[in-house]
Amino acid sequence: MQVTLQTIIGGISLGAVYALVALGFSLVYRTMGLVNFAHGNVVTVGAYLASTFYLSTKLPFALAMMVAIAVTGVIGLVIERVLRPLENKDFDLMLIGTIGFGIVLDALIIMIWGATGRAVPSPVAGAPIELFGLRIRTYDLVVLAIAALATVLLVLFLSRTKRGAAMQAVAMDHEAATAVGIHVGRSNAIAFMVGAGLAALAGGLVGPLLYVSPTLGGALGIKGFAAAILGGFGSIPGAVVGGLAIGVLDSFAAGHFQGYSELVTFLVFTAIIMIRPTGVFGERTVNRA
Amino acid sequence: MRIKIAVVAGLGVLAWLLPYTLDSYAIHVVNVIIIFALLAVGLGLAMGVAGQVNLAQVAFFGVGAYATAILTTRAGLGFWFAAVLAIVITVVIGLLVGTPALRVQSHYLGIVTLGLALAFTNWVTNSQIAGGAEGISAIPAPELPGIDLSSEYLFYYLELIVFALALAFGLFVVRTGLGRRMRAMRDDSLAAGALGAEVPLLRMTAFLLASVYGGVAGVLYAGLIRFVAPESFGIANMFLLLGMVIIGGRQSLIGCVTGAVALYLVRELLSDHPTYAQIGYGAVVVLVVVFAPTGLAGIPPRLRGLRRSTGEAARLQPFQPYEAGASGSDEVILIVDAVKKQFRGLKALDDVSLSVATGEIRGIVGPNGSGKTTLFNVISGLYKPTAGRVEFGGRDMTNVTPYRLSRAGLSRTFQNLRLFGDLTVRENVLVALDRSRTLDSWQYVLAPWLVRARDRRLRAEADAVLERFGLAEFAGQAPKALPYGIQRRVEIARAVAARPRLLLLDEPAAGLNGEEVRQLGEMVRSIRDSGVTVVLIEHNMGLVMALCERVTVLAGGRVIAEGTPAHVAATPAVIEAYLGDVMEIPTEATR
Amino acid sequence: MKLLRGKRAVAAVLAAVLATGGTTGCSAPGAGDKSSDDSGPIKLALADAQSGQLSSLGAWELKGAKLAVSEWNAKGGINGRQITLDVFDTQGDPTIGTNLARKIASEGYLAMIGTAESAVTIAMAPILKQEGIPNITSGQSTGLVAVKSEFLFLNGPTSTTYDETLAKHVVDGQGIKQIAMITNNGSYGKGEHDAFLKALTARGVTPVADQVVTTDQKDFSAALTTIRQKNPKLIFLGAEEVESGLIVKQARDLGITAPFAGAAPQGTPVFLDTAGAKNAEGTIVSSPYLSNDISEASKSFATAYKAAYNEEAELHGAKAYDGTQIVLTALKSSNVASGKDLAEAIRGTKYEGLLGSFAYDETGVGIRATSIGVIRGGKLAAAAG
Repeated sequence: MQVTLQTIIGGISLGAVYALVALGFSLVYRTMGLVNFAHGNVVTVGAYLASTFYLSTKLPFALAMMVAIAVTGVIGLVIERVLRPLENKDFDLMLIGTIGFGIVLDALIIMIWGATGRAVPSPVAGAPIELFGLRIRTYDLVVLAIAALATVLLVLFLSRTKRGAAMQAVAMDHEAATAVGIHVGRSNAIAFMVGAGLAALAGGLVGPLLYVSPTLGGALGIKGFAAAILGGFGSIPGAVVGGLAIGVLDSFAAGHFQGYSELVTFLVFTAIIMIRPTGVFGERTVNRA
Repeated sequence: MRIKIAVVAGLGVLAWLLPYTLDSYAIHVVNVIIIFALLAVGLGLAMGVAGQVNLAQVAFFGVGAYATAILTTRAGLGFWFAAVLAIVITVVIGLLVGTPALRVQSHYLGIVTLGLALAFTNWVTNSQIAGGAEGISAIPAPELPGIDLSSEYLFYYLELIVFALALAFGLFVVRTGLGRRMRAMRDDSLAAGALGAEVPLLRMTAFLLASVYGGVAGVLYAGLIRFVAPESFGIANMFLLLGMVIIGGRQSLIGCVTGAVALYLVRELLSDHPTYAQIGYGAVVVLVVVFAPTGLAGIPPRLRGLRRSTGEAARLQPFQPYEAGASGSDEVILIVDAVKKQFRGLKALDDVSLSVATGEIRGIVGPNGSGKTTLFNVISGLYKPTAGRVEFGGRDMTNVTPYRLSRAGLSRTFQNLRLFGDLTVRENVLVALDRSRTLDSWQYVLAPWLVRARDRRLRAEADAVLERFGLAEFAGQAPKALPYGIQRRVEIARAVAARPRLLLLDEPAAGLNGEEVRQLGEMVRSIRDSGVTVVLIEHNMGLVMALCERVTVLAGGRVIAEGTPAHVAATPAVIEAYLGDVMEIPTEATR
Repeated sequence: MKLLRGKRAVAAVLAAVLATGGTTGCSAPGAGDKSSDDSGPIKLALADAQSGQLSSLGAWELKGAKLAVSEWNAKGGINGRQITLDVFDTQGDPTIGTNLARKIASEGYLAMIGTAESAVTIAMAPILKQEGIPNITSGQSTGLVAVKSEFLFLNGPTSTTYDETLAKHVVDGQGIKQIAMITNNGSYGKGEHDAFLKALTARGVTPVADQVVTTDQKDFSAALTTIRQKNPKLIFLGAEEVESGLIVKQARDLGITAPFAGAAPQGTPVFLDTAGAKNAEGTIVSSPYLSNDISEASKSFATAYKAAYNEEAELHGAKAYDGTQIVLTALKSSNVASGKDLAEAIRGTKYEGLLGSFAYDETGVGIRATSIGVIRGGKLAAAAG
């Protein structure tokens, strides 16, 4: 029982990070119909930027994160500009085009920061909280809180602000939105910027949990994408639920199947997708045939 | 033709002499390139030709290589026997990996196959029998009497022969019925199904082909490198393969091969500067995708297209009417009985019943959103009705798949045109003409001449159909480049080419000018006279009045009137429905 | 017109055939001979992952090997000839490894340094053996010995040595019997797992827990909670630097206080940084290179390393440095021999290196001792006793 609960706790803490990655995937997809496979590499960029500001310029962690999110958001704008011709194109092209972009980003990361990576000390001191024999890291709680806050802010932004409402409209009907005078291009750019910002948030938060290296984002990207699909691609609550689910599934598979955990995780994932192809919350797409 | 043969023969001779000019490093690279080219052809068949996003190709490769390694080193089998078993195993795995394609497509299929590929590397990394992370070494070299295949120079000839056969077979598949049907499915799986393509079976065929090529490549890899380890079959190589296929041009197998050769050579040349190579390779991929989505293979046709545009434009010829055949009878061909169709909260069809007599031209009219297209979708098997039944040709066809209905003699067109965009006009018609079963594809291996003969016969028939519809001069063109009215006519020609007993036309006059509408009326009447029953949805009341013997009026998902055009036009409920339509501007709820 | 073009194509093909056929005559393909240069620079190859997941190992190795080569060049090279070290990127992929092995052979390199990854080295070994190119690898898997190539040498001890020494220290020396194991399923972790388990079994000790994780796992709660419940006195750790660091960090967060023990990776700065110095305190390490100030040689190596790259030297660089030194020494003693003679020269080389005294036997292993160190106050120091 204790093992089970502790496994769930471990899964949820990484699951929160997967959820943030999945949010970025889904936000970009629902707005512009682009599956951005470079998203994982953007996570790496965010992680490097956050750790650089935190370690080298000695900014406080929170401030370093903000700066990293802002810079990554700008990078997101650049990526959107380059990939714009791919929006709403057929999936194969998007797949390989964004993978190509990811490869370039990876190489740039190695050129700038080197291949060896760096460890980031935890910004939150304080011993883990002990509860009925279970241990919960304080930093995990911080990650969960920030992830929850980011989700709430995103939902508020989409539902309460004018710009967010415009993005919702674009997500629901591209052509109708254009017809009523919404600037689709600007909506897309903002979606991409926010998506990249979320990636930086995920990368920055995961830095102290793991180890920042050029390969950091690869695994997070695949798991985050799987999470987005599992929750229902394009759905905001779906991304959160999917992220937590993949995190917990992963932890359980690791506990029960040891080295074979990845095999089990993906077999279970395949089975779920076969049973319910549109994920938990159903797909939200731009244009359905 | 002669030039083609000369080029192929020349390439053959050059390939045969190539090893004489290469040192041992270069020949090794060439041997590896051939293996990647084989993989790329397999991926091209699945992804480019059949449109199945298969990110497990590298795992098929791995299964083939690992199976050979395990069977030779652990079970002590001879190389060739192990090779055959390995290919069989790969195919079984390939079909298993392909089953999700029956339920999901596009990015869903992508992540599922990618996940399964990761699961494969995870399994070999752990499994004792697969040698764990260190892999299996000392795989015996394949043996042929009198030929030492442990020499990479001689192994090259083995690879060359296998590759030539595999490529020829792939091209044969693409250029004949099976490949055409897969390409049609890629462009529009709904329309392909409605024309009789067995979509589930074709998707599995795509994975079957991909896994055969993957398995063969794996066997050759095991024989060449004689060592297998998990890293060779990882995600990086999958992306490399994808890059090869996209850069080369995924819809053309020759393009896939070109891409494989080009990308591998470039990577090999830049191997001393890995980071720059990485940037270059990534940038090339992005540029190709953005500016040349058809890849290297797409460049020659583009250039030719530029040159051709100065030539004389093709012209539409008049339709040549059929000779009147079987006349109408009292037999009922279609019965719709109390059909209901519900979408979440919305009742699209509510208790709709109608019956159509053989040889009739029936019109279905109604305001926008009244459920007309939904009704067509239920009849042609695209939607399952919530309740009620559909009888066609005297048999219950309520939940029968579109391709079975098509084979039973039902054909249709679509409101918003569903032509296969990357097929030529002739090929669009050929897809419909070809009534052979996908299960008969064993002929490709055992009796290719039968396939060839059938294809030749079909081509002649297709040309006859195009001639009749006045489309002969457009035969070789891509439909999306044609004017709208001509596209409409191509779609009708295609639907008729399937030789239906019942033809459903969904707003055939939409977007046509007056003269075109007149020609359409003539065409439909002649089609009926040749013995085909016609049901059409139409907003053009003039056409309906002139053409239809009986008219059914739908409003709000219910039948509100039925009878001769004149009778219906005088019915108060109909007038009210149409007035209401004008007043409140309905929403488009069906497709 | 058509016919003419056809004819021209045939003619072109024929010309090409004559050209290629004419130059080579009718011999079997590939019968050409390799030229090896007797003047000009002495060519050494370094093959390692310079990109991809394992590129950090490759980067360290390159630094160590380069240092050795530049020292020799500064002293005037060998027989007046300078030494060049060219880098080949394996990307950690065995297939690319075999390409590179062929390339290294065809371009006349005398010997090869690397790779750091056993699977790639094993893939390359048959080709290097066939072509007669001695190879000093940084792998430590027993699988390398099983290849049985007289051209393959290790620049450090095998896992067996590391773990036998460790088991001797903790079981025989300190009398610890309650030991848990956590290892990954990669080639390194698997080798460690098997070697340490064998050493324990030989001493009649059964581990209280034996958890296997994957190489890219991020959360270890399940495995560590299981271990915690068994209440071990010591946890054996078989994983690369970063993953080891993560495991130790998460273990401390879960309230596990037992010390960890492992082989070389647990003594590196990367491990210390990832785990956090406080968490790594007390970790027992079996390594042939405990620290930069263990001997005069290591001190000067570390100084030179720092001067060249502005970072602290570590084990992998030291190993590659030793391996390269051995090859260069053998080249000198054999008067720049190649092929089998060079391999024999390496086998005959007795070398006092950073890792200890090297003397190769027919298995290709040249050093069979490691020392035990303990991390105290964020530094690895030799263990007392």
